[in-house]
Amino acid sequence: MNAIDRIGVKVIAAADIPTGNVKPLLFELAGMLEAWLSKGEPASIDLRSLPLTRGDYTELEAALGSGAVSASVEAIGASEVRETRYPGVWRVMHRNEAGEVVADLLEVCGLPEILRAPAEDAADGLIRLKEALQP
Amino acid sequence: MTTLGDSLLASGVSRRAFLKFCTALTSLMALPPGMAPAVAQALARAKRPSVIWLSFQECTGCTESLTRSTSPTLENLILDLVSLDYHHTLQAASGFAAEAAREHAMKEFDGKYLLLVDGSIPTSDGGIYGTWGGESFVDILQQSAKGAAAVVAIGSCASFGGLPKANPNPTGARPVSDLVKDKPVINVPGCPPIAVVMTGVLAHYLTFGRIPELDAQGRPLAFYGETIHDRCYRRPFYDQGKFAKTFDDEGARSGWCLYELGCKGPITHNACATVKWNAGTSFPIQSGHGCLGCSEPDFWDKGSFYKALSTAEWGDAKTLGVAAAVGVAAGAAAAYLGRRRQDRIGKED
Repeated sequence: MNAIDRIGVKVIAAADIPTGNVKPLLFELAGMLEAWLSKGEPASIDLRSLPLTRGDYTELEAALGSGAVSASVEAIGASEVRETRYPGVWRVMHRNEAGEVVADLLEVCGLPEILRAPAEDAADGLIRLKEALQP
Repeated sequence: MTTLGDSLLASGVSRRAFLKFCTALTSLMALPPGMAPAVAQALARAKRPSVIWLSFQECTGCTESLTRSTSPTLENLILDLVSLDYHHTLQAASGFAAEAAREHAMKEFDGKYLLLVDGSIPTSDGGIYGTWGGESFVDILQQSAKGAAAVVAIGSCASFGGLPKANPNPTGARPVSDLVKDKPVINVPGCPPIAVVMTGVLAHYLTFGRIPELDAQGRPLAFYGETIHDRCYRRPFYDQGKFAKTFDDEGARSGWCLYELGCKGPITHNACATVKWNAGTSFPIQSGHGCLGCSEPDFWDKGSFYKALSTAEWGDAKTLGVAAAVGVAAGAAAAYLGRRRQDRIGKED
């Protein structure tokens, strides 16, 4: 046994400890859901702007669970959209082409904007479809 | 001149992809996520500005930080958004050809180009401690600032004098804001600054066509509005009075607060605790070392990095007391800070 192996090492990754920041976040979500239901105002939270540890993310994911809808979008990298167990509350995660997370959001709305087909793109598509139908 | 939206669409980027890009950019600029569609609209109309980057008394660490940023797609897109017309370290031209490129950009984009500066400017003995092409840094700065729309001081040296200005400051080093008085100066301090903070400031200028809201030290509030301590994941331990006393005690191993080991987090305004470093991997406190306070003026001359904050070097007891008392319920602070920032930006725009 090498001398270095005999030194007792205790590793606690501080980043895995939940900070207690998830609960106020959930209260905020409840407030947003209320505002959306009563006034139709969509809202979102940028998770990466908050001091959340890996432990917090685990806690948050457990609290939100998963709902009926999940979708993926391929646009300059993969994006995942998942409804939580609370309808109208969505987790939207955007990745770049290298697979790194570039935005991680909780959205409160009927349907996250990224899933809607933009009218201009649809108009371009219509032109292509009509071209394809030319005899 | 074509707009950014046109050139992106022409290169095959779909509108959905552009919205996604703008969502990421909005997060990067620390704006509320609901602003993404507005950012997309503004950016689609934006034109590529010319950027001149001057390096004075510096170590190239700021350029290293910017060019080593690890989300290539986004950073490249941002670098595509500007036309970097002069940068000693990155440009291929040298000597007279390089200076000609600078003069050409200054003439063609007079009143419109952005001037980025890293490094402090030596002013003692007629400025002879820093020259290129026979001209002093002072003269080059003043000449180049004349036609600039705004000046961005990149790093603590350009923002506050930094290391060259440390006692006894043999070269008479001074920050950009001491020498440029008739243009808006944005300070982006840090040793080095976080790459996305630098690109975020540029993106803000592009999106809104004006400089971001600044604090009393000339720093963009979006990135420097809160202290490291406000956003530190170890903050709950501070509130519970759990402190590491040495770097190898039980407290240090359990990830307790590093305040008593000299952490300058409570008085340091920067985004390290949320944006982090190396593709969001970690930041000094997460790696077990206190914050040095590198984005604050004269951090180098304010006593030991390993002594707990003292009123002698870091301001009066009231300042420190406020830092310690704000957000006693750390949990509530997270949501509160997000909302406060949202309100502010909402009012601004």
